[in-house]
Amino acid sequence: MGIGKIIIKRAVNAIILVFIVMTINFFLFRLVPGNPVLMIISPDMTMEARQTLFIKYGLDKPLHIQYINYIREVFKGNLGISFVYNRPVFDLVFERVPATILLLLSSYIITVILSVALGLVAAWKRGSKFDISLIVSGLSLHSMPTFWMGGLLLMYFSVNLGLFPITGLSTPWLVHENVYSYIKDIAYHLFLPMMALGIGNIGGMFFITRNSLLDIFSEDYITTAKSLGLKDKTILFHNVLRNAMLPLTTIILIRLGFIIGGAVTTEMVFTWPGVGLLIYWSVLAQDYPVLQGAFLIITITAVFANFIAEIVYGYLDPRIRYE
Amino acid sequence: MQKNKIKGYARSIRKFWEQYKESKLGIIGLFTLLFFILVSTFPEVLAPYPVGVLQGDRKNLLQPPSSKYLLGTDELGRDILSILIHGGRISLLIGLFATLIIAFIGTFIGVSAGYFGGKTEELLMRLTDVFLVIPGLPLMIVMASLLGANFFNMILVIGITGWTGTARVLRAQVLSLKEMPFIESTRAIGASDARIIVWHILPNVLPLIVAQAVLRIGGSILSAATLSFLGLGDSTKISWGMTLSYAFGIGSIFNDYYWYIIPPGVCITLIVLSFTFIGYALDGIVNPRIRER
Repeated sequence: MGIGKIIIKRAVNAIILVFIVMTINFFLFRLVPGNPVLMIISPDMTMEARQTLFIKYGLDKPLHIQYINYIREVFKGNLGISFVYNRPVFDLVFERVPATILLLLSSYIITVILSVALGLVAAWKRGSKFDISLIVSGLSLHSMPTFWMGGLLLMYFSVNLGLFPITGLSTPWLVHENVYSYIKDIAYHLFLPMMALGIGNIGGMFFITRNSLLDIFSEDYITTAKSLGLKDKTILFHNVLRNAMLPLTTIILIRLGFIIGGAVTTEMVFTWPGVGLLIYWSVLAQDYPVLQGAFLIITITAVFANFIAEIVYGYLDPRIRYE
Repeated sequence: MQKNKIKGYARSIRKFWEQYKESKLGIIGLFTLLFFILVSTFPEVLAPYPVGVLQGDRKNLLQPPSSKYLLGTDELGRDILSILIHGGRISLLIGLFATLIIAFIGTFIGVSAGYFGGKTEELLMRLTDVFLVIPGLPLMIVMASLLGANFFNMILVIGITGWTGTARVLRAQVLSLKEMPFIESTRAIGASDARIIVWHILPNVLPLIVAQAVLRIGGSILSAATLSFLGLGDSTKISWGMTLSYAFGIGSIFNDYYWYIIPPGVCITLIVLSFTFIGYALDGIVNPRIRER
């Protein structure tokens, strides 16, 4: 099977998944006890206004017609209107996507670098005191609420030491002379939430990298290399890391789908103006159209990340490419 | 006959304990957990002060730790140590009940998929993939905010979203189990599928189910704390998650109320860690894939 066929097969799979996700999203918000109109239309309106909107949104139609309408509107990019902001949900979500992507990707780079480095050392010195202390710290990190750890970092570094800003993406009302000073300002705001989320995710990632590296260390060719008297450094870079590329790349890509939902609480703690913060506000304000739209976009992004992971894996692994 | 059976059980329990004792982390986890269970069973006796909303010390709001209040007081003048002593029960119960749901759904789906194979397996694994790809926390947030925030709904939401791992592990185990000669021969003498599953498959995967469940309890407690933090907890009950959420809510971070924000997080971390340690120790004994290492 060639790479083209794999892509087509995976793409079909992803499209089916997107439809299932849209269906779940449609029914989730309609199976709620109570009148769905209350969910879609603001409770503050008069009876007549409600009646008008009831018909406008097609809620007087049977469920399957509503479903078809919903799918069609989603494809047009119409995710409804927010009760609170009175603006299209699509715009509200997408103007917050860049902030979330910036936080997610930068923190993920921290997670990946530290997990691979620590996993490598732990697997190399398997069973040593260092390995065991890394395992225990990894498990402890994994057992902490991420938002709590973020809160403690914020309290210590920003509030007590005053090293970093307390909230937001950039300094408000600050006029920047040029692009560089703007980027510097954002980086300064990004640092702490990035570290909080990045370190928070190491707990889970470290074990996976350590285990997959352990698999490679126990391969015969490593034993052979050792018995040939090759230097540790040579073995590490020529044999271990080279062979670890495939499993590690796969893990890194697959985990990317997992962390997408994880930024919600970190964004809250640091008042980072991303999709997670929007979700929190819409929960508080019971702004259901925004909640539904943001959830749909997050889920579709996760499906997409998964799809990319499968393609790259198929491309990298000759066993799959030439199957 | 009966006596021999009991002796056999006693021997296997002793053998299990011998193996379990080998894991230092498992022992640490077990004793930490026993400590928390003890405290959560008798909070009324152990807590030095009452924790009712109106029972706080009005003259001592948000006081740092002192000899009178070892961990300081909250915004209602209540003793934080007493609140933590009371809060363990709800956190443990949520973790436990949510995990029961997870174990039930995960076992049902994993065993059915592994045992029946074919179309059933295809369908059930597709379902698992869907749940695996939907980011867990956003799904929990959406469901909790639609259903309403209370004790029962938190359990339900965490239970419904967390079963995929259990289902996958069990499917793999059942797949290899059903090829075993004793299952084949049971089938050959005409036992029904239901009988084989209940009497031969389930008893064999039970240890794995328990190990998986113990690992999940910690995760469920963490999810409950996260939901509480997002305002989707049960505000009528005292739990570590709610305490942490109140601590954040009144701005402990910006006012440096460290005594309010650090202890509940430490409690949550320790209880989750104890379940994780116990779970890994158990998994090391019962999961053949890990045992080989």
